[in-house]
Amino acid sequence: MTTIAISGLRTFLGRRLAERLALEAGQRVVGLDRLRPHGLAAGVHFREIDLTRPDAGSALADLLHKEDVEVVVHLAFRREPTPDLDGDHELETIGSLSLLHACAAAAIPRLVIGSSTMVYGPRLDNPNFLSEAHPLRGHPQAHCVMNRVEVERLTADWAARHPATAVTVLRPCWIVGPTYRDAVTRYFSRRVVPTLMGYDPLLQFVHEEDCLDAFARAATAHRPGVYNVVAPGVLPLSTVLRTAGKRVLPVPTPILYRLRAYPSQAQTGDRPEGFYDYLRYLWVADGRRGWEVFGRPLYSTREAWMAAISAERMRSYR
Amino acid sequence: MSETKPEAHDDATEPWSSALSRLRDELRRRLSANDLAATETAVGPAQIDPFSLFEDLRRRIGKLGMRERSGEVDDFGLDPETIRSARPLLRLLRQRWWRIEVVGLEQVPKDRPVLFVANHSGLLPWDGLVLAETLEEAHGAERRPRFLIADWLITLPFVQPALARLGGVRACRENAERLLETGRSVIAFPEGVKGAAKTFRDRYRLQRFGRGGAVRLALAAGVPIVPVAIVGAEETHPILFKLETPARIFGLPFLPVTPTFPWLGPLGALPLPSKWVISFGEPLATPDADSAHAGDDLLVARLTEELRSEIQRQVKLALGVRQGVFG
Repeated sequence: MTTIAISGLRTFLGRRLAERLALEAGQRVVGLDRLRPHGLAAGVHFREIDLTRPDAGSALADLLHKEDVEVVVHLAFRREPTPDLDGDHELETIGSLSLLHACAAAAIPRLVIGSSTMVYGPRLDNPNFLSEAHPLRGHPQAHCVMNRVEVERLTADWAARHPATAVTVLRPCWIVGPTYRDAVTRYFSRRVVPTLMGYDPLLQFVHEEDCLDAFARAATAHRPGVYNVVAPGVLPLSTVLRTAGKRVLPVPTPILYRLRAYPSQAQTGDRPEGFYDYLRYLWVADGRRGWEVFGRPLYSTREAWMAAISAERMRSYR
Repeated sequence: MSETKPEAHDDATEPWSSALSRLRDELRRRLSANDLAATETAVGPAQIDPFSLFEDLRRRIGKLGMRERSGEVDDFGLDPETIRSARPLLRLLRQRWWRIEVVGLEQVPKDRPVLFVANHSGLLPWDGLVLAETLEEAHGAERRPRFLIADWLITLPFVQPALARLGGVRACRENAERLLETGRSVIAFPEGVKGAAKTFRDRYRLQRFGRGGAVRLALAAGVPIVPVAIVGAEETHPILFKLETPARIFGLPFLPVTPTFPWLGPLGALPLPSKWVISFGEPLATPDADSAHAGDDLLVARLTEELRSEIQRQVKLALGVRQGVFG
């Protein structure tokens, strides 16, 4: 039995992964976060750590040492961008840096970092399938994506300097599923969905369970490297919206990009480009490398999307 | 009603559509038994069935909104349903509008992925689309090659999604490699934008072939190169001259002026009815397909030049086949 520490216990992935590893895989799980989550499963040991504090690094190093932690899974990232740009930066970038310092001090043998395929960035000149080696260009208007890009860069530097630690970076694409909620699923659950007129990019999703599977396998087995965590298959945006029975409101790009106070955007502090460019250009990732190592996902993109919308429909009848 | 319900629910696996049609038949039977019986004398023997009429109308309206379009695309965004619905128009263009003549189709290998390399011309990628259609007609849908499209077409809203559904893929090494790896043929236009944007004065004069990417790709993937000459596409949108300043307003690399565009507005997008000849050459002998050769820059440059002159030669031959531009 190994001891696994999971930062960001209150995030969806952190909480579900902690409970899965503790209850199903029978590992000893230490969950780290600023506040204790409500109704935490008995098998997960909560420890209070605030990664945004200046002394977070040394405090975490002591804790990792004391708990005899062998695996650290870093998931303390915002589920979605907030208007607090500095706060997001402190938590995501500086918090990750503190965590890396602590892992170095505690000589952790295995580190798993949760990233996102959004770090590749939606670009005109992207190939149809982005491999893990593709440069991380992010999107300058999406501050949380840029934080992730920075974290990936810091992690790569750190991994090169600490060869004794096996570092696994997992990049899931947009997660959907019966229970997962974030800015993306909120966008898709609107009754009338605004899209960019004349654009119909291919999208890919990964089911929440498949994503958790990949993280659980990365935490329990030696799999260093960078992997995209995506489901096979792609869906055009138009099909995604049609299968969900949404009314689509195509807006010409220049008009949409001038609506700075657009309701869904005002909550993120980003300009509309930071989100809508992801619905304009291709940023589909190639999952073959990840499937070889972590197994093929149970849900294809279409099945994952169907699972998500059928759950949404059931909720709307309640 | 109460009698039909248990009947429709007999079999849980019965698809809802057939259950619905049974319900509809039942309703029709009952209605015709009571209400319609009274009106039958007024309408006369030629009875109009309101249900089938409604059903027909619903189907037609549904088709208008393409509600019944499959939405199932492959990994590169090709939509067989879109291709099927565009086929009558494309066939009309190929057979009646351009009266395409195909030469040397028997030289194309049928049992393996192939890299087709063709001369590029015309602002809209009619040449790629027509070549893909021609090959699909000859070798079947699963052997339909994908045509690579230049970046500037991808910047255009509406155009890019339509091209992707018709089998267009952004021209880059990763895409072409993946297509060939997964056993799909690829049509490449190594001249790129230089070929599409050349003015009418330079027609049928092949431009530089990129940096040898096409040959390098074929060597690495171990697939034969089939040189293709396409004659006639040059005259579909003959560019008289290019405007730079107004193009900047629209964010385009240049604004072409053709005999029909921008004078006729959107009608300028219609291609002119030039006579086309598509000529397939002999597959280029690549020195025993081996990825080690892909790194040999001199070899790649030599093969690229050979390929270019071969296509230029074929273009000249094909030009001789047709009597005149519109002949």
